[in-house]
Amino acid sequence: MAPKKDVKKAEPKKAEPAPAPAAAPEPAPAPKAAAVDLSAVKVEFSADQMDDYKEAFGLFDRVGDSKISFDQVADIMRALGQNPTNKAVNKILGNPSAEEMANKRIDFEGFLPMLQTVVNDPQKGTFDDYVEGLRVFDKEGNGTVMGAELRIVLQTLGEKMKEAEIDALMQGQEDENGCVNYEAFVKHIMSV
Amino acid sequence: MDCRNAQRSQPQDEDIMDIPLDDPEANKAAAKIQASFRGHMTRKKMKDEKPREEVHKKQRERK
Repeated sequence: MAPKKDVKKAEPKKAEPAPAPAAAPEPAPAPKAAAVDLSAVKVEFSADQMDDYKEAFGLFDRVGDSKISFDQVADIMRALGQNPTNKAVNKILGNPSAEEMANKRIDFEGFLPMLQTVVNDPQKGTFDDYVEGLRVFDKEGNGTVMGAELRIVLQTLGEKMKEAEIDALMQGQEDENGCVNYEAFVKHIMSV
Repeated sequence: MDCRNAQRSQPQDEDIMDIPLDDPEANKAAAKIQASFRGHMTRKKMKDEKPREEVHKKQRERK
């Protein structure tokens, strides 16, 4: 802070926070430049993996044009063992409008760098991440969380889930006291 | 305050107040967990809908 000069009036000069390091101030909304540069992504899947992916891709193509729509991308990634957030997928797709989500289609070659991006994500969740995330709600520190509380969390935080989704998820997970052993729960989740 | 939780068992009011709605870290952690849940449910659904031995076989081999 500036040493006290003999300033009588407090100068309303708000010290400007240091300008953000790299980013230039974004003036007008940029044309939808891809937030992720897919062309720079090196696709590094094995031949076996490519076979798997091609097969799944074929299953998802309901139109028969060897493409899938934007709004199928998240699901096919999940089918292939990934767990991207919706936000991550949207970013990879260039933050598409609802119309684009429904109508834009990509072919297998276009899909691969998208999948690779998710596979490469350094922030991918691990067993420990999930357990630690749930441990926050373990009030008694005994390895369980209240099913009811977990349901509320899933509906109100993060990428909110719908009640029907939550019901399906939680089926058979609560004990007679309505408690969930979250380590077992996470193991179960990760087993498929 | 009960009407808020009409359906389910009654979490204490304190529990609700504890839920850090605005905490970015909590939301980030929640989103990560939800992503794993969604992944799991999609895979489970596909397994149930398409019990093709071939698909399973490849899945096992991939691991």
